[in-house]
Amino acid sequence: MKNKLRELRAERQWSQGELAEKLGVSRQTINAIETEKYDPSLPLAFKLSLLFKQPLDRIFFPGAD
Amino acid sequence: MSDSNSSEGNERHPDCTAFKLAMRSFELNAWLAASGAVYVIALYLVRHHPYWGPGWKSAVSLMPMLPGLLFLRTGLRLLKEMDELQRRIQLDGLLFAAMGTVIVGTIINVFNAHGLAGWWPAQGLQVGGTYMTMFILWSIGVTISRFRYC
Repeated sequence: MKNKLRELRAERQWSQGELAEKLGVSRQTINAIETEKYDPSLPLAFKLSLLFKQPLDRIFFPGAD
Repeated sequence: MSDSNSSEGNERHPDCTAFKLAMRSFELNAWLAASGAVYVIALYLVRHHPYWGPGWKSAVSLMPMLPGLLFLRTGLRLLKEMDELQRRIQLDGLLFAAMGTVIVGTIINVFNAHGLAGWWPAQGLQVGGTYMTMFILWSIGVTISRFRYC
């Protein structure tokens, strides 16, 4: 799955560590999501959606396989 | 750092979580060390007291189960407190260890059955060997999984 987490984070000038703190996860988790090596769980995806005030399908979208 | 969007009131401070995880890891390692120490002591006692009855020998041999159960309880708590990716990494490591131990154990047993395992000091992996194999394979599995997600 693709996502635009890095863009959204950059817009707010947050570091990966800061975003991780806000979500209560590790920095490695944020990095793995941004590099699309890991797809977050639904609860974490909703947390991101609430934090960035964006609907889920604006943050995550299916990528071309 | 405060943010109006975050639900900070419901969540623990990250430094607190990191400290708690570090302490839990320390506790886990302490129980592992205790299990190893009790295992060595139990092995020594059973070997040096051949006149003990089978009931007594069994009871002493099972002594490492006590710190082992506390290790298990701490491990489950640690798993519960981890974030989802860390939990995934640990589960990958555990699966790697479980499957790897089955494979290593099967190979050694087959070699034993056909007389090819003369280099191996015991019949099969035995209890200590199984724990050691699982621990080594768990370390390898966690390392591989961490690299996969970094």
